[in-house]
Amino acid sequence: MSLWIQVALLARREFVQRVTSKAFRVTMPLLAVAILAVGPIVSLVAGGPAEATMIGLLGEETPGIEQEMHSQAALFDLEIEVIRFETRTEAESALAGGSVAVVVADEDEVVFQTEASSRLIALVHGAVDATVKTVALSELGLSESEIASVVAPTPMTITTIEERDLQDDARSAAAFVGAILLYVSIVLFGQFVAMGTVEEKQNRVVEVILSRVRPWQVLVGKVGGIGLLGLLQLVVLAGAAYVSAELADFSGIDVAAIGVPIIISLIFWFVLGYAFYAFLYAAVGSTVSRQEDLQGALILPIGLILPGYFAAIMAAENPDGFFPTIASWLPPWAPFVMPVRIATADPQIWEILVAVAGTALGAVALVWIGSRVYSGALLRTGGKIKLREAWKAAAE
Amino acid sequence: MLELVDVSKRFGDVVALDGAGFVVERGRILGFLGPNGAGKTTAMRAVFGLIRPDTGSVSWNGAPVGAGERLHFGYMPEERGLYPKMKVHDQLVHFSRLSGLSRTEANAAVDRWLGEFGLGERGDAKLDELSHGNQQRVQLAAALAPDPELLILDEPFAGLDPIGVDALTATLRELAAGGVAVLFSSHQLDLVEDVCQDVAIINEGRIVLSGRLDDIKNRSTKRRLTIDVDGRPWVPDVPGVEAVDGPGPSHFVVDDDAPVADLLAAATAAGVVNRFLFEPPSLTDLFREAVGS
Repeated sequence: MSLWIQVALLARREFVQRVTSKAFRVTMPLLAVAILAVGPIVSLVAGGPAEATMIGLLGEETPGIEQEMHSQAALFDLEIEVIRFETRTEAESALAGGSVAVVVADEDEVVFQTEASSRLIALVHGAVDATVKTVALSELGLSESEIASVVAPTPMTITTIEERDLQDDARSAAAFVGAILLYVSIVLFGQFVAMGTVEEKQNRVVEVILSRVRPWQVLVGKVGGIGLLGLLQLVVLAGAAYVSAELADFSGIDVAAIGVPIIISLIFWFVLGYAFYAFLYAAVGSTVSRQEDLQGALILPIGLILPGYFAAIMAAENPDGFFPTIASWLPPWAPFVMPVRIATADPQIWEILVAVAGTALGAVALVWIGSRVYSGALLRTGGKIKLREAWKAAAE
Repeated sequence: MLELVDVSKRFGDVVALDGAGFVVERGRILGFLGPNGAGKTTAMRAVFGLIRPDTGSVSWNGAPVGAGERLHFGYMPEERGLYPKMKVHDQLVHFSRLSGLSRTEANAAVDRWLGEFGLGERGDAKLDELSHGNQQRVQLAAALAPDPELLILDEPFAGLDPIGVDALTATLRELAAGGVAVLFSSHQLDLVEDVCQDVAIINEGRIVLSGRLDDIKNRSTKRRLTIDVDGRPWVPDVPGVEAVDGPGPSHFVVDDDAPVADLLAAATAAGVVNRFLFEPPSLTDLFREAVGS
């Protein structure tokens, strides 16, 4: 019987036991549905025609002010509605309640509730200015067309040299979410590996297993089976996020152009990052004999992962910053940081190659180190074993 | 035939095995005896490659034991353990398949052994839903289902009630009759004497006595003497006769050339002799002599 068939049997047990567990069968669909719902909900809340900005008028007003406000608003590409107040108290309570954005009192005071909007100030100022001038000029006897030629604003074309790229913003956001998903997946499934290892020691089932297969087979089977589950969860959740984004109907954003490469990149870096960390998790898991002692042992992998996670968050904001750049090259952190940099910046091809090769080599080294510690520690129960002792015990 | 030759193993300063060697033949049951910490578990683990001996060899039918051979071995470790949250049938099939059985073979073997142990209806139960005794049976089934040629059981009778002991005894006899080589360790010497044809006694990592139980008994220079005079304790005044513990009548261990006729005469003189037995030593006597207590 091939050793790899045994590995496959061990992996199968890990996968099937977990995928059929009540926890997984309930949590996974719930999570997926929740993610799916986010898109349509965002659309519903943010969607619909833009509401008009309400402008309140109080006290004295020059005839024609309301019409002038509308024409000024057109210049600002703003939809407005004008309402009138009898008393200042009324106007102020409307401001406080948010039903008007600004109140113009006696045409010589502009009142805001908290923050003054320069756009609205300019609009109000332009409108008052124009109506007052119209009245003055008509009193001077100028004809309507003469007045219009003086008062009408000089038309100006508005040009922006660089269009704000919604696609880039969306890509940044997706990379950020991807980094979190990757971090959560590697930590979660790494912990499953560690907990599974302790469980087998604690239940003493490990001796029954090891009478049939070698420690490295148990290790590879466990990491493989749980990794497959992690991959399944990642694909389902990332897929749900993708469909959700499509359902959200973002105008001006090509969801497929962003989503597909990011999902592929997530899968690739999950496999690499998980391979790197899972064997470490297994090794530290094998050094304790009870679940209660596991938390302390997990400080090592978590401590190694966290800087990578922070670097990834930084990279979403500033992909070419010093720390994110360096972190994206180094094996323990590359799986978290490099995918974000690839999505949001244009790292050199050599940088990507260094990250991939370094992580792959690191994973191979950890398979070797992890297997040895695991073999040395597996049959030792009671208390915690130092990593170094387990390493030596494997040689006995 | 399983053969351990001159197997030694140290853990740091502790010598667990010190040139241990014995043979388990197919179709026979060997009782593996020794005080706590004598090296029994280490020797059994060496057979399964769970520890690597420093010196010596472990062979099966003349060839060194490797991964391939171990697939034909069944093992029940002293520290029992299976997956508590996994269904009984599923995990037995899992372990059988790890031992090289196909899915069909594994299902058939597991059904057979669960049926044999009266657990046919409990296959879908999780292990931790079973009683302690039934968990023990499942553990045994895990060792038996792959249809092993060699069966090694570490303290299989520990924790069993008398009915469980009888059932396990019957199973082991049946397996041996079918050609399986069986080794089990136990502290219940009367049980071993009842079940085993062969014994190996280990002390401080060395095999101090091994072979066919009948031969060992006959070879022994000691004899067990049981005398019941008037149903009361009576100690013959004969040199070289030492009393040993035993219920009811007086038990003695004597040399095989003890003056039996003189003893009988002395007993007859002392009262009515209800019983006078001169027989080979019991396993308990041999064990005590071998481990020097």
